[in-house]
Amino acid sequence: MASNFELLAASRAALRLTLMAVMFVALSARAHAANNCPWINEATASGIIGAEAVGSYTDPTPSQPAVCNFVQSGPSVTRTLRITVLQTPHFQDLLQAENKTCTGTATPMVAIGNEAIACSADDRRKVFAERVVGRVRDQVFTITLSTTQKDDSILNRFELKTRIATAAEQVSGNLF
Amino acid sequence: MKKTQTATILMVCGMLPLIGAARDKTQQSAAPQPSANSSISPPPAYTPRPKDAPPLEDTPAQREAIAAWKLKAVQKNDVARAAHNAAVAPAYNFHYGKNNLFTPGNIKVQGAGFIQPGAFPTAEYCGTCHQEAYTQWRQALHSNAFRTPFYRTSVNILIRDKTRGIAFARHCDSCHNPIGVISGALTEDSKVDRARFDSDGLTCTTCHSVLSLDSTNGNASVQVGVPAVIVDEKGERIPGMVPFDMILRHPERHSQAVMHDLLHKPEFCAACHKANLPATLNDYKFIRAFTAYDEWQQSKFSQRNPLTFYTADFTTCQGCHMKRSAITHPDYGAKDGTLVSHRWLAGNTAVPFYYGFDEQLSKTIDFLRAGNYLNVDIFAIKKVNDDKLIAPLGRVSYNLAPSDTVEAYVVVQNKNIGHSLIPEVRDLYEAWTEFTVKDSSGNEIYHSGFLKPDGMLDPRAHSFTNRPVTDEGEFVDNHEVFTIHSVAYDNTVPAGRSVLVRYQFRIPANITGAITLTARINYRHLRQSYLNNIFGKDHPAYPVVEIASRTRTLKIGENQPEDPDPADNPDWMRWNNLGIALLDQFQYQESVQAFTEVIKLRPTYPDAYTNVGLTEISWEKYDSARTAIRHALSLDPNNIRATYYDGLLQRRAGNTEQEIGDFRKVVGMFPESRDARRELGITYYQQHENEKALEQFEALQKIDPDDLTAHYNLSILYRRMGRPEEAAKQQDMFIDKKVDDGAPTYSLNYLRTHPEISTESIPWHVHSDLDEGAGGVEHGK
Repeated sequence: MASNFELLAASRAALRLTLMAVMFVALSARAHAANNCPWINEATASGIIGAEAVGSYTDPTPSQPAVCNFVQSGPSVTRTLRITVLQTPHFQDLLQAENKTCTGTATPMVAIGNEAIACSADDRRKVFAERVVGRVRDQVFTITLSTTQKDDSILNRFELKTRIATAAEQVSGNLF
Repeated sequence: MKKTQTATILMVCGMLPLIGAARDKTQQSAAPQPSANSSISPPPAYTPRPKDAPPLEDTPAQREAIAAWKLKAVQKNDVARAAHNAAVAPAYNFHYGKNNLFTPGNIKVQGAGFIQPGAFPTAEYCGTCHQEAYTQWRQALHSNAFRTPFYRTSVNILIRDKTRGIAFARHCDSCHNPIGVISGALTEDSKVDRARFDSDGLTCTTCHSVLSLDSTNGNASVQVGVPAVIVDEKGERIPGMVPFDMILRHPERHSQAVMHDLLHKPEFCAACHKANLPATLNDYKFIRAFTAYDEWQQSKFSQRNPLTFYTADFTTCQGCHMKRSAITHPDYGAKDGTLVSHRWLAGNTAVPFYYGFDEQLSKTIDFLRAGNYLNVDIFAIKKVNDDKLIAPLGRVSYNLAPSDTVEAYVVVQNKNIGHSLIPEVRDLYEAWTEFTVKDSSGNEIYHSGFLKPDGMLDPRAHSFTNRPVTDEGEFVDNHEVFTIHSVAYDNTVPAGRSVLVRYQFRIPANITGAITLTARINYRHLRQSYLNNIFGKDHPAYPVVEIASRTRTLKIGENQPEDPDPADNPDWMRWNNLGIALLDQFQYQESVQAFTEVIKLRPTYPDAYTNVGLTEISWEKYDSARTAIRHALSLDPNNIRATYYDGLLQRRAGNTEQEIGDFRKVVGMFPESRDARRELGITYYQQHENEKALEQFEALQKIDPDDLTAHYNLSILYRRMGRPEEAAKQQDMFIDKKVDDGAPTYSLNYLRTHPEISTESIPWHVHSDLDEGAGGVEHGK
């Protein structure tokens, strides 16, 4: 049976722990400016990358897609989630062109946008990446999840494939 | 003793690091989305105890271990929740004020502030021991309630709307993505990792964490507790995921935590299967969206309404949509090898079609076809220039000749659905009657309700849909519900009722052989133009399901009676359904004639006389109505349905004592009869018996919180009784819920520019390709 003193000490400890956690999360939340990516928020992108990432967003031009870029840089590894979206009446042509950027076999994805494929998109063994290319109506999107570390403890090949599917569902869902 | 205690603590806590690690990973990362067919590891070993065995007694050491776990779990949850709120609140859009975090939704949570997504044990965690439930749920609508394009397209419009935005989407997401709402994710600069819940929509621990139902107002009117999968010996909830050992040792405590009685009640389903568009969403006023719950309550299956045309055994929503069936995956929640369905089979074919959930799709189609839900009856024909109704078809002799112009009567009975056809979002779901006439070579003579090559439905089809319109009279084609100001057309078949659909065609002059008439009720999820809005026009054709059909062959020349089809209703019921349909189309004389045919076939059936009586009340022929109702009561003095209509007639005759007696009798036997409560309240009100009137209207409001008569009369009664605040509240609700006087103008603006729907909006209309402008060949032409 715990004494009153022990209970009091335990509740004080819990209170201290709560306050510390609240301050930590509040500060870390404030450290990031609002991110304008319309298709995925920074917290979600960070979850997909596996560590806190910093995002940026570039508006589209008539010829260039809108781009969201989320980067987590460490001393030995850089992890990136990059999303591009371009609305075009020539979406089939663009889809075919984007599909050619795959370095591995393209696999059709079920229930992502109107249509989508997933593939590897490694860059000469310097960047290890998985890519999804798809469309929602006439909006063509690409999603690339990459790491610079071959045997990344967070983004190994299985995780790259799994997590990019989550990203694809988020992005395509917001494009509908 | 000490050794045993330590061992027990280790045994219970042995799972701690494992669970903790799994949870941390989930919190940091995007949870992998297993496909519906992905295999799950075998569940932990478990041997159920005999059914009548008492719960296991814990040793003091085990109790202490559980208490320690609980203390830690509570602290951990409190810390996580406080941290989450500190992170989310600063950027949260408090559009509706700091005390209305989730408005326009009605959802509430236990405790203050948001609940962190990590508080909700994942479906995969539950699925470890409930693999059958998990597998079914993954394919079901509830798990896909948020992520589907069919939902996202419309909610995204609201989110992108410049004068509204994501805060308004809390209205929709309270039911479609409750964790998103109560975690505070629905704000412009969201700090919440959405990958942790978006894909799971209504996960296990959203429904199984509901602690109470606030009302039957819908729009997610529930209180969600901090999720717990087990309670301690005192019945106190232990938040978060616990080691499976703890649950398997005390399944009764697991059950106490997650299997609340409310889960079995139709009111639980009402929380989301009843929806309205409040002023906080549309900046206009309350508009009823749908209410499958009230439709059920008014149906024969609820046994709460004495006025239904037919009777049935009591059946809840769960009784139809969560039927128990044999399991094919391990599930410790199964009883005798069966589990209540977590597929919630209903009418949604689009979601399993899109996701490739073939099993769910096939079971959905089977469900739609298997339930004897609808009866289609090609009931009669009538030759133009001849008033004689040849009916019931198959039971009488008649002649047909080439060049005859024929009107076919198709009666569609909503026979065994516990709600209307279609119950929800009639602007998107599409059911319709397809009617064909073919010659003996299969050549088409007439066809209504066809699909055009572009997938659009024949605009003159008889459809069970609606047309919500904006204040400009434009059809709200994209489910932008916040722009709805009126409903120009709303066609449905309420539970237990029937509709008559008439088709006119001419038999070719050169006909040889017989003609074949086929009537089908088709169903499509979703309407083609909405699918086009979602995907563009280049999408695959979505499934069309034939729910029910009937074919009859009519010979040219003489036709003799024939044996009925086994699926046909008996003749008296065929006439009865025609009578009901004609009543609803305001054809009172013909309706009385049809019900009179029922009397001929079943002279001792009291309801036949009651049906004549109630039709004559609508027709304002009170004397003959009185005769019919008295006849019904002479056959069965306790017939409660006839007693209700007798009450109305006694009022008409000024016999207040008998009127009160009748309504009191109905209320006594059917305390949840909204009609009887309303009428008894009116009677008391007219007699200046304020207290008694108040009692009835308050009871009525508990049954139907939106009843306008209750709002109106309560506002007056409260004022008379010196309760001005309550009076004002009722008055406000009356004004808010009463249909806008301008609504007909919006509807007419639409109907003026859509003659095909304008015709359909008239209850008594005929479908014909002979003279479409005039709505068919008129009698006497």
